[in-house]
Amino acid sequence: MADQPVTSPFQQSRIKLGRRAPNLYAWATILPVLILVAAFTLYPFGFAASMGVRKYILTQPNVHPFVGLRNFEQVIGDELFSVSARNTLTFTLLSVPLVTLLGLSVALLLNNRLRGFGVLRALVLLPWAIPLVSAGIIWKLILHGQFGSLSGLLYQFGLIEQYIPWLSNANLAMLSVVFAHLWREFPLPVILFLAGLQNIPPELYDAAKVDGAGAWARFRWVTLPLLRAPLLVVVIYETMIGVAVFDMVYVLTGGGPGSATTLISWFAYTATFKFLNLGHGAALSFIIAIALALLIIVYLRVLPRQEAAT
Amino acid sequence: MIRSNRLAQVVLYLCGIALALYIIAPFLWTLSASLRLETEIVVRPPNWIPQRPTVSNYLYVFTGQPPQEYEERGLLRSSITQEALRLPQGLVNSLVVALAVTLVNLSFGALAAYTFAREKFRGRNSAYTFILASRLLPPVAVAIPIYIIINQLNLLDTKTALVLLHSAFTLPFTIWVLTLYFQGLPREVEDAALVDGCTRFGVLRHVVAPLAAPGLAAVGAFAFLFSYSEFLFALFTTQTINAKTVPVLISEVANNPDASYTLIAVGIVLSIFSPMIFAVVFRRFITTGLAASLGK
Repeated sequence: MADQPVTSPFQQSRIKLGRRAPNLYAWATILPVLILVAAFTLYPFGFAASMGVRKYILTQPNVHPFVGLRNFEQVIGDELFSVSARNTLTFTLLSVPLVTLLGLSVALLLNNRLRGFGVLRALVLLPWAIPLVSAGIIWKLILHGQFGSLSGLLYQFGLIEQYIPWLSNANLAMLSVVFAHLWREFPLPVILFLAGLQNIPPELYDAAKVDGAGAWARFRWVTLPLLRAPLLVVVIYETMIGVAVFDMVYVLTGGGPGSATTLISWFAYTATFKFLNLGHGAALSFIIAIALALLIIVYLRVLPRQEAAT
Repeated sequence: MIRSNRLAQVVLYLCGIALALYIIAPFLWTLSASLRLETEIVVRPPNWIPQRPTVSNYLYVFTGQPPQEYEERGLLRSSITQEALRLPQGLVNSLVVALAVTLVNLSFGALAAYTFAREKFRGRNSAYTFILASRLLPPVAVAIPIYIIINQLNLLDTKTALVLLHSAFTLPFTIWVLTLYFQGLPREVEDAALVDGCTRFGVLRHVVAPLAAPGLAAVGAFAFLFSYSEFLFALFTTQTINAKTVPVLISEVANNPDASYTLIAVGIVLSIFSPMIFAVVFRRFITTGLAASLGK
C-alpha cells in the first residue's frame, strides 16, 4: 500500500473526530456491499455447514435430523467419489500446466511488437469473453462424432479413415474436455503474462546480452524469475477453475460416457439436483472447498515467499 | 545477422497465423454452420462454405417461420421449436441482468471502494478483508444453500435474484481493483475540494469519477461479462423464460438430442454477439485493469 502523504492539520482533526464517533459516511457506503456479500457467501457457507451434518433430502421436507459426519462418510464411501476425485485430479494435472504453458508461449509471441500483432492481441480476448457454455457448445459441434468438423478436416487430409467419436469414446472424452477448456481459458493467462513481460525493464536484457547470455539463458534467468508474480496468480486461479469446472462438462459430455468425465463438481451437482440429497451435496462441497484451500496453501509454500506476498 | 532476423520474423509471423487460426476457426465454423440448412450439415466431409447459404434459421428464431425444407423433410420437431423460439427473450433477459449488475458495481462498488481508499475508520481492514476473502469460496460450496435462500426469499425464477447473486460475486473484485485505482490517484485535488467544503460523496462524483473513468470502464466490463456468462446459478434459480438467460437456454437447446445442429449454431452466434462487441470495445480497459490488479 502506498505511503500516506503528510496529513494537513485539517485532516488530522478529521481523523481525531473519526476516532471519537463512528464514521457514518464510511459505514453507510460499505454497508450495502457488506450485506450483499454476507447474504450470499457467509450465510450460505454457515448454512452449508449445518446441512452437511444433517440428513437433508428434499423429498423428505421438514425432517432434518442431526447425523454427525455420516454424510461425509457416505459421500466418501460412494464409488463415484473416488472416480470423480481421480478424474478431477487428472483434469487439473493436464489443464493447469497446458493453460499456463500455452498462455506463456502466446504472451511471449505477442510481446514482439510486429506489424499486425495488435490485431492478434485483440483477438486473443474472444474465447474468454464469450459465455463458457457457448464455448463448450462450439466445441461440441466441432467434436461431434457424426459430422464434427475436426474429424471432417482430418478425413479430408487423409489422416483418418473414419470419423472419430471424440466425446463418446471413454478414452478420448477427457482429453476433449481438456482441449475445449484450454481454448477457452488460455486468454486470461496471456493478458496477465503480457502485463508481466511489459513490466520487465529492457535494460536487463541488454545487460544480459553484454554478459553473453543467449536467448534461452535470457529467458531462463531474466524473464522467468520476473514473471513469478503472474505465474503464481495464473497457477492458483487456473487450479481453482480446474477443480470447480462444471459448465464445460455440463454441455460437452454430461459426465460421460459412463463416468469418464465425471468431475467432482459434476458429482456434487448430480448428488444434489438429481438425487435431491442436499446433505450429501453440502458435504461434498465442503470437501472440495477444503481440498482447494489446502492446494493454495501448498502453492504459496512452494513458490517463493517474496512473490507470494503480492 | 540480418538474415537470421528475417528468418526469425517469418517464424514469428507463421506462429501468429497459427494462433489466429486457432482462435478464429471455431467461430467461423459455427457461423458457417448457422448459415445452412440441416440437410447440408450432415455432408461428409463438410462443405466449409455453405453451398446454398441461407438466413432462414435466424428468421425462424426471430419470427417463428420454419424453413421450408424442414417441413418437406419432416424435420420439424416441436421440442426444438419452443426452445429456440425463446432465444430472443433470453437475450433480453441476459442483457437486462448484465446491465443491472454493471450498474450496481459502478455505483455501490465505486462508493465502497472510494471509502476503502480514502477514509479511515475502525473496522476498515476487517471489512475489506472480509469482502475480498468471500471470493475464495468455490461457487459449488454455496450453491445449494443459495438455492434454498432464494427460494425462501420468494425470488426463484426472477431476474432480481440473478442481479443480486451476480452482484455479490462481482463486487469483491470490483472493490479490490477500484480501491487500488483510487489509491493511485493524486490526492491533492481531492483534499482541496474537501477543504472547499465538498463532501466525500461530492468529491467522488465530481472529482474522482472523471479521473477514474478507465478503471470504472474496466470493472464495468468485467461485471458485464461475468454476469452475461454466468451459468451455474442461472441454471439453479430460473425455471421459465421469465428469467432464463442465454447460457441456460442454449444449453437446453444443445442438450436436446433432437435439436437441429444448425439451430444450435444460430443460438451460439446470437449468444456470443454482444459479449464479443463488448470485449472489443473495452479491450484496452480490460487488459490494463487486469494488469493493474496484478501489479499491486
